[in-house]
Amino acid sequence: MSNYKIVSSSEVPSFYSRVVEIWEYRELLLMLAWRDFRVKYAQSFLGFIWALINPIITLVVLSFIFGTVAKVDTMGIPHSLYTLAGLCGWTFFASLAADSGRSVLNAQEMIKKIYFPRLVLPLSKTFTSLIDFGIVLLCLAVLMVIYQYPPTIQLIWLPFFVFLAILAGIASGIWVSALTIRFRDFQHVMPLVLRIGMYATPVAFPASAVPEKYQFLFFLNPLAGVVEGMRWSLLGTSEFPPYIWLSLGILLLLFISGWIYFSRMERVIADII
Amino acid sequence: MKETVIKVENISKKYQLGKSAMGDLRSTICNLFSRRKEQAINTDFWALRDISFEVNQGDVLGIIGGNGAGKSTLLKILSRITTPTTGNVEITGRVASLLEIGTGFHPELTGRENVFLNGSLLGMRRQEIKDKFDDIVAFSEINQFIDTPVKHYSSGMYVRLAFAVAAHLEPEILIIDEVLAVGDIAFQEKCLGKMSEVAKGGRTIIFVSHNLDAIQKLCTSSIVLQNGEIIHQGESSLMVKKFLETMFSTASAVSQSPNDRSGNGTVRIESVHIEDEKGNYINTLFAGQWLKVVLNYKSTFPLIQSLIVRLEIVDASNRILFICNNLLSDGEFFNLSQSGQISCVINKLPLNKGSYFMHVYVQMNRKDSDILMNAYKLNVQNGNFYSTGKLPQTHKGLLVEYYWYVNNTKK
Repeated sequence: MSNYKIVSSSEVPSFYSRVVEIWEYRELLLMLAWRDFRVKYAQSFLGFIWALINPIITLVVLSFIFGTVAKVDTMGIPHSLYTLAGLCGWTFFASLAADSGRSVLNAQEMIKKIYFPRLVLPLSKTFTSLIDFGIVLLCLAVLMVIYQYPPTIQLIWLPFFVFLAILAGIASGIWVSALTIRFRDFQHVMPLVLRIGMYATPVAFPASAVPEKYQFLFFLNPLAGVVEGMRWSLLGTSEFPPYIWLSLGILLLLFISGWIYFSRMERVIADII
Repeated sequence: MKETVIKVENISKKYQLGKSAMGDLRSTICNLFSRRKEQAINTDFWALRDISFEVNQGDVLGIIGGNGAGKSTLLKILSRITTPTTGNVEITGRVASLLEIGTGFHPELTGRENVFLNGSLLGMRRQEIKDKFDDIVAFSEINQFIDTPVKHYSSGMYVRLAFAVAAHLEPEILIIDEVLAVGDIAFQEKCLGKMSEVAKGGRTIIFVSHNLDAIQKLCTSSIVLQNGEIIHQGESSLMVKKFLETMFSTASAVSQSPNDRSGNGTVRIESVHIEDEKGNYINTLFAGQWLKVVLNYKSTFPLIQSLIVRLEIVDASNRILFICNNLLSDGEFFNLSQSGQISCVINKLPLNKGSYFMHVYVQMNRKDSDILMNAYKLNVQNGNFYSTGKLPQTHKGLLVEYYWYVNNTKK
């Protein structure tokens, strides 16, 4: 029941009024997040187990390929620890991007019957992804204790990189969810991109392993900065990731363009979904 | 002077019919590379054309129209689910729209959790839902199951809970579509009661329904839509009459396909409708109710002699259930004017719940003038035939009046 004067017209509302509206619908946003949480975790203990099994299996595979077979240099840090710190950022991004990318299509019945700012749907996925992230973080903490590897003062940078990962996940999520409204094909494209993307991102190997002349190109993938940066803050690896500001810039661009495209699609969504 | 709370100005809505209305990647890519755009395949369809009206504070407005008249599109625009192609809608006040009840219900969640989820989807604040929670549960009559996941609910329980949430919305403006079409007759009555309660509370309501009785009962004024345009606007019972007139003059009873209509045409039935005691047009009938079948006729003769009218009521498999024939009860009609009305009163409708059809036969001078097969569809609901409210569960056969007695009761 949004308040007071409501105008529905053929004109596109301003950015500011959209933000205000989403703020007004904050309770719905939290409600949807809570629903996802209930359905995913609270129904059974298995929900948590699955959130645990996924990164562990990925970790085992990646450690074997990059650590045991390819023997990638991780600057003295145990390879499994190094990879898991990379996975923290990556799985957070990937689960958020996948969930929010599907969110609009999954809610199509709701969309046809009731009005609310549609951006609430992808945004609400942040919370369950944060829980997944927390679980991986917990694994990392356990591993750090086992390897007797204490965190450093750089840990205070973690919130910043968490923010970047959210930005990346939401930006891709709103792009994909808006695109899938018109082109259903994109729901198949997303998992593919995420799978390939993991290897184009320094999850199991350091960015410095990439030859100098390709570094700039490599960091055009904004996730390279996010993942490398998060590992830097978690493990205190030696240098602050270069090109992190480039990643931030690209992410902001991706987010703003996604927002604009989503806003345009939002107006016709109920007609074509 | 009442304040205007909804102002609709010249809204139109265009849909694109055709191949690439929905759009897929392949055709978009093809379009990108081919000079011959596929646009030509698209045909525009105007679901609404230049609609304007205003609703004042406290008005209850009904929207009437046949299928495809644009009612749903109008509601979707008013509730902001979709935007108009051109034009403006201005709404002042808190709006809640109910195009469906139980939107967003998740089967895995409990009744309690779904109340909160559905409530916040409908725009209620969390605190508001908390305050009303006990009332909602009481209204839904499912107290003991409130902490059971709704996937275990019967469909009746599901609907009751969903409606209970909707019934406790307290917006200034309420937009409702056909929600009353759910549940059994008792539940529909309860919903209607709740709605008129809400309407009397001074709230502004926009109501779309196929249930013309409900429109007449609830709405102070109505608009009639046809092909996306407003064709009539005014007091509700008058609008219902006008709507039925346009319905029958354009579609069902009169311009029957040649297969369904025969006879020499010396007398033609122009329209068929059914009225209740108060003269209201009704299209939903109740078992045991009083009703009047009204036939409007026109003849090629200035004076009609020796007219026989026969109504055959048949079930869905075209078995005759009963016949109303003036020759049997009243005798032939004489000295009728060239056009007018012939009515047949049925004191107590002997039909069970279900759908039935009426064939109309008209004979003048013992020659078939007009035969209308399936001239009218009777939708009968459970009613109070035996003054007990009870009816045979089988929905078969006819209802007759009878009484029982026993003469060997023990003293």
